[in-house]
Amino acid sequence: MERQIINKKKRVFSLEPNKNPSAVFTRKYTSHLVPALKKLNMNKNSSKQTVKHEVDMALALSAQEFAWSRFLLQKLSSSTNPTTTTSSSDGIRILERSDKEGGNKEGEIEEKLRELQKLLPGGEEMNVEEMLSEIGNYIKCLELQTIALKSIVQDST
Amino acid sequence: MVFVINIVSSSTLTFTLFLSHSLSLQAICFLKKKKKKITMNEGAIGGDLLLNYTDMSVLERQRAHLKYLNPSFDSPLAGFFADSSMINGGEMDGYLATAGLNLPMIYGETTVEGDPRMSIPLETTLGTGNFRKRKFDTVTKDCNEKKKKMNREEVTEGEEEEKSKITELNNGSPKSIKKMKNKAKKEENNCSNDSSKVTKELEKTDYIHVRARRGQATDSHSIAERVRREKISERMKFLQDLVPGCDKFTGKAGMLDEIINYVQSLQRQIEFLSMKLAVVNPRPDFDMDDIFAKEVVSTPMTVVPSPEMVHSGYSHEMVNSGYSNEMVNSGYVHFNPMQQVDTSSDPLSCFNNNGQAPSMWDSDVQNLYGSLGV
Repeated sequence: MERQIINKKKRVFSLEPNKNPSAVFTRKYTSHLVPALKKLNMNKNSSKQTVKHEVDMALALSAQEFAWSRFLLQKLSSSTNPTTTTSSSDGIRILERSDKEGGNKEGEIEEKLRELQKLLPGGEEMNVEEMLSEIGNYIKCLELQTIALKSIVQDST
Repeated sequence: MVFVINIVSSSTLTFTLFLSHSLSLQAICFLKKKKKKITMNEGAIGGDLLLNYTDMSVLERQRAHLKYLNPSFDSPLAGFFADSSMINGGEMDGYLATAGLNLPMIYGETTVEGDPRMSIPLETTLGTGNFRKRKFDTVTKDCNEKKKKMNREEVTEGEEEEKSKITELNNGSPKSIKKMKNKAKKEENNCSNDSSKVTKELEKTDYIHVRARRGQATDSHSIAERVRREKISERMKFLQDLVPGCDKFTGKAGMLDEIINYVQSLQRQIEFLSMKLAVVNPRPDFDMDDIFAKEVVSTPMTVVPSPEMVHSGYSHEMVNSGYSNEMVNSGYVHFNPMQQVDTSSDPLSCFNNNGQAPSMWDSDVQNLYGSLGV
């Protein structure tokens, strides 16, 4: 393990730390997730749910400056089987319901905002304006997370 | 009528000038900093910046004038003047209202109590983006101020509207414009300066003051509603930029649909990837830095027969990637394969303790699956 660390030191790095926020997030995320996955792997009981748990935990820990990450951490710490993402079937059902509403435009928009609130961890506790700004950075973090996960998976296959 | 305005305005002008002077000297640096911060955050349009500069020059002129008139000042005096300005203020403002000058004003965080005309055109020119900043700073609304506000209310919406009002101002009497800008500066100084006695005693109330535009409902509820709606639409625009494919939709509903779909698809993707990850675990020699290399390079990692090859594969990727943040000198990378090949056996040794290493080092993918099943 020590030789591995020495290995890394001999690798090429830029002298300045990368302050680009997406790079900072990605770095934090992978530094949380990869050791956790390694640990999981060693324990041999890596079920899909625990991996998902680790994935979400890594996301929450890497984005501490946002409100939704606190909610996510709460959810994760309180339950062992977190369902942080609404299943796709629920989402489709709710959207269909709003289509059936028909003419009430304001109602539709409200319905959709509520739907969005459900998607965001802790979104239901926020008011609409906060929620909209939180959704923005949540989306960004999700995108970075998918990139990181893709590269981890690609790396292992 | 005009003369009356001028007479009254000149008296209040002195009062307000004293007040501004007491605070401006202390707060002028805050003012500049705040302006810069706001412009950086909200991206003010050039025309707005120009307006700010004219305000500054007006303020500086008045400061010089004040210095000439009254070399020494103290805040209690300013406090007294603040109160007296209030008395005249309402009156004066009534005149202005009838004169038809609708000034775009948003009141800021710490305002002089009882002086409802305190305003910040500076803030307003930077657009509704500041609503967010103001909301962050001012949480509660004061009912007393609202009642005074009811008489003359305005909501500032777009920069274009503000500019048109500014031209209106310009068409009006120059003295009143100066005064208004003065008050704006004073308000700005009030907001930014917490140390003066005046603001301390008047800091109790945090509120947002808005003015209704001409021809719009002056009901405080509708104004608050309008402010809220503007904030929401501004955030929606930001989201529109963020979510790909959202620019086709112009309506809120369509955009919200798109955003919901995008978030759901992202979450599903993450679920799928994490499931995949549960099946295929990362190799122990997984190097996080390679993720950054991978972001740039699209060449897929092939399954390699030996650990040494794996290492050279990694370094190859680093050579190929143009990710400049991670690499200082690509020539330096050539040394890596040799070093890593030498130490490639070490990870094996460290994992031998756990007794699992041999299975993990199987290059064959099927073997990996098999070992995980154990």
